[in-house]
Amino acid sequence: MKMLTLTAAFVAATGIAGVAHADKLDDIIASGTLRCAVVLDFPPMGMRDENNVPIGFDVDYCNDLAKALGVTAEIVETPFPERIPALMSGRVDVGVASTSDTLERAKTVGFSIPYFAFEMAVTANEKSGITSFDSMKGHTVGAVAGTFEAIALEKQVNEWGEGEFRPYQTQADVFLALSQGQLEATVSTSTVAMANVKTGNFPGISVVGKAPFDTDYVALFANRADYGLLNYLNLFVNQQIRTGRYAELYEKWVGGDLPTLTVPNAYR
Amino acid sequence: MFDYTFQWNQVLVRLPKMLDGALVTMEVAVLSMLIGITLAIILTILRLSGSRPLKAVATGWIEIARNTPALFQIYMAHFGVASFGIHFSPFVSLLIGITFNNAGYLAENFRGALKAIPDTQARAGRSLGMSQIQAFGYIILPQMLRISFLPMTNQMVWAILMTSLGVTVGMNSDLYGVTQDLNALTFRTFELFAIAGVIFYVITKFITLSARIIASRLFRY
Repeated sequence: MKMLTLTAAFVAATGIAGVAHADKLDDIIASGTLRCAVVLDFPPMGMRDENNVPIGFDVDYCNDLAKALGVTAEIVETPFPERIPALMSGRVDVGVASTSDTLERAKTVGFSIPYFAFEMAVTANEKSGITSFDSMKGHTVGAVAGTFEAIALEKQVNEWGEGEFRPYQTQADVFLALSQGQLEATVSTSTVAMANVKTGNFPGISVVGKAPFDTDYVALFANRADYGLLNYLNLFVNQQIRTGRYAELYEKWVGGDLPTLTVPNAYR
Repeated sequence: MFDYTFQWNQVLVRLPKMLDGALVTMEVAVLSMLIGITLAIILTILRLSGSRPLKAVATGWIEIARNTPALFQIYMAHFGVASFGIHFSPFVSLLIGITFNNAGYLAENFRGALKAIPDTQARAGRSLGMSQIQAFGYIILPQMLRISFLPMTNQMVWAILMTSLGVTVGMNSDLYGVTQDLNALTFRTFELFAIAGVIFYVITKFITLSARIIASRLFRY
């Protein structure tokens, strides 16, 4: 009886110890699956092909990460506002979701080093007469709720003190509203703007110029306390660049000048 | 597994913004109820009228309002009408969507209330020399509104909760919209939505309780 109790205690103790020592990185490797939060409404970073299969830069990036870890990738579609709840509730392990690494957000989640950088472009309805960023003043403008550009644009509209800012839930809604004339202009990442104008689904809109916002560096994210995983992500991003895979993926999905991911005169 | 540390002070500093949002939510709900009740009375009268086309209009409205999602109605009031070149602001789109929905449901409530009023009352009114309109206005309508008073508060609660659908048409000044905005800014999802939930609860509870008190005062037999 005593032996049994002892054995039980031992099993319980090792069981608990085992759980306590395995970190998130171990969990991912053990489970054999890497679940990535990807926004599939954000071409060319994340979208679906004719067969409804997820494709895009972020999808490839997640697949590369899974390959490096020796596990299978599982793409979990998360609209922009649902990225964090998906992570916190344990539905995904890591976010490969074009997430801007703001200091405000970093108080909640852990970010890797930047893996991509966006320039912002102004797309306008041709009837609006908007020809540049500054001529948006006083007009009705909008962007996708919860994105870097939406936050920056709303701030700018408040500074101008005239006009109106409207956030929509998806990138498709923004371009629909823009094409219909509900919005007169939008600021989005230039890659997204080009991709959407090119589809021809949204007649009457065109890219009119750059938006003078800071470069929008986006990072992978994971739970803030999972240092093992975050370290791995940092190294992974570094290796993607080192091996030329970043350039390859950029050429495949976006094309043009490769954005540099380092900040001059700074360590990280 | 739920790996998250709650940081209430990060969101409590933003509480005033959320309370401003709650005011906008109330504003939309109250307006949509006032207009909705008026429209519902008109729909009820149209249904009672002998005219077939008018009846068809009322029935069509009520059927669509009751049998399609509120989300669809609000989306239509924004993106749907815009494809015909009619542009409403998010506030107006949301108001139209909820009002349309309210009117449909309330008209159905009114119909139930009318069933509870013996039609001999209208005839009694007519025999006292009232016109048909007078009999409806003085005898039937007040009773109808009284009987359907509590169901109306139900609809009011619905209207409050439906305002949360405004985010789909770009609304960001109501309680839910403000919460979404703050969420994007801070990623403090759980605290923010917990607070928003509590505010919604308090508002709706306040409405149902005060409606009950008003009802017990007004409708003493």
